[in-house]
Amino acid sequence: MMDRRKFIRKAGVAAAGALAAPWLLPGGRLFAASGLRKVNHVVFLLFAGGVRNLESVQFNDGNLMPNMLSGGSSISPDILPAMDALPPGPLSQPLQNYGTLFRQFRYKQGPTGHYNGHTVAVTGQYVNTDLNIREAPRNPTLFEYYRKHNSPQQTALNCWWVANSLGPYPALNYSSDPSYGPAYGANFISPNFLISQNGFNALGYPAAFSASEEAAIRNIRKFSNGVFNKSYTDPSAGVVNSPAEAAQLQQFITDLYAKAQSGQYINPWGVGASMNNDMYNVMFAEEIIQRFKPELLVVNMQDVDIGHFNFSQYANNLRKADWAAAHFWSIIQSTPGMANDTVMVIAPEHGRNFNPNTSLDAYGRLALDHTAPGDGVSGDQMAREIFCLVVGPPTVVKQGIVINTPAGESTEIVPAIANLLGFDNNIPMSSGLKNYNQCDLAQAFY
Amino acid sequence: MSSPALITDRNMKKKLWIGLFLLFVLFTACEKEVDYLYEVNPVTVSSAGSGKSNAKSTTEFLTIAWADLFGTQIPQQELIQLNTVYQAFGDKKLIEDRILLNFLTRPGVQIPALPHVNGDTLQFVVSTYKKLYNRSPDAFEQYYMKEQIRLNAAMSPRVIWYALMTADEYRYY
Repeated sequence: MMDRRKFIRKAGVAAAGALAAPWLLPGGRLFAASGLRKVNHVVFLLFAGGVRNLESVQFNDGNLMPNMLSGGSSISPDILPAMDALPPGPLSQPLQNYGTLFRQFRYKQGPTGHYNGHTVAVTGQYVNTDLNIREAPRNPTLFEYYRKHNSPQQTALNCWWVANSLGPYPALNYSSDPSYGPAYGANFISPNFLISQNGFNALGYPAAFSASEEAAIRNIRKFSNGVFNKSYTDPSAGVVNSPAEAAQLQQFITDLYAKAQSGQYINPWGVGASMNNDMYNVMFAEEIIQRFKPELLVVNMQDVDIGHFNFSQYANNLRKADWAAAHFWSIIQSTPGMANDTVMVIAPEHGRNFNPNTSLDAYGRLALDHTAPGDGVSGDQMAREIFCLVVGPPTVVKQGIVINTPAGESTEIVPAIANLLGFDNNIPMSSGLKNYNQCDLAQAFY
Repeated sequence: MSSPALITDRNMKKKLWIGLFLLFVLFTACEKEVDYLYEVNPVTVSSAGSGKSNAKSTTEFLTIAWADLFGTQIPQQELIQLNTVYQAFGDKKLIEDRILLNFLTRPGVQIPALPHVNGDTLQFVVSTYKKLYNRSPDAFEQYYMKEQIRLNAAMSPRVIWYALMTADEYRYY
């Protein structure tokens, strides 16, 4: 028979256990992180294609990025004729005034290839070997960390990867890590290929079914899936959306085609023939912003990579990328739900060489490759030198700050975004991510 | 009063009769029991289509879907364009669904007409399963599909084909 003292002691232990049990998390953490968010939306604009600091933040040919950067002189007269006309900037002042600029950010390790650079940017980990471009990254991506560790968990509708080209880039929306993978991946879209004439031919005339036909289809499909013993959810099926969300995505695609058909994508920004792939890619990312207001969106630009063959067009596309970045921010700030609640991080994936190659353009300039020492070919350290600009609400991001000394590196962007969205403490220590508190990028935030 | 010899003779006869009776009971009661074993032929129970374990590749899926719907080989240029579009969106199930919906509106689609419900519905069901799933429907599937067609006016051949082509089994071989 239990005496009174024993009863009280056991009851106390049981009550303590009951209180503690809900906080024992699957990841082995005892207590959930505070989950304090600094903002509810983060946009990472990969200013990619290989941008050399000499042409960006160091104004070697004048200020080619006047919508992002303040200061600098006018564009070098010898390449000025190669520059396409662009309308006045979408913002009243350069983007850097809305945040903190790191002028000597670094891509410290690994091959200075585009896919490597993108992979490092979205995984937060250096890859020191050439990657198999047919494979998803081995380390989890920012998207997977967000979808797995953010509390409450969010669907792929809140999480997007928007790429301006195909090749290996569709593989960056989730990793091959068995603890993560497509179940935590981002919705991926390459709008320049999807919202195209080919895309319209393939997808623009979908059959329509009545409500009773839809119900009949659901019945038959459910019956067939019930009889069959496998579900098509293996990695080859890609990221998975619920039926309701898939319907929203189908409608989104239909609406984009309708806009294209009605001519709304002909000169949408008033830049005429200057509208390049980077600009279109950002414009479609703006459509996603306005439709879904995602919490996490990564979008890239890559047209500056013409710098391998034509320096003047590299400079010209740098101006267009700058204009697109400013337009992107103006749309974010005019979108209810995202305005004043979004941080945007802008950084190239890697730089370009100091020493040119032998391709001479019509204006007498030699082109630039990107091959850092250790890549297995000759190159120089300038391919590792990049910038990083962080803009956002003045209560979150320090405004008008320029950090001129070497500070920050590519692998700090993922932990910084995780911290902004309040889930960095939920990511297991074993992930190998840099601790946010050790990131120079943290200097940009309050 | 009987003599003792007579009594002994009667006792002997009585014992003899009892002995014979016991022997009779013993032999008739211990008849060997025959064991009857009622058997059916061995049957392996499995779900329909369970032998399909490999997911079709993108190219296989597109090629087979085209062939099923149009009765021809997909043109090479068409396949290249579809592959490009396919890569441009991350949710493959969604994009496959959209591609199939577009196939259905193209001229040249060869979906058989549904015979009258009282006509050869079973033949339609069997041939549809053979065409799309490369197998005959089992009895349960035959019954279910026939009943759906009988009871639901919305069950057109286009609806049935689209539903089966977007079900999981169509993605496997």
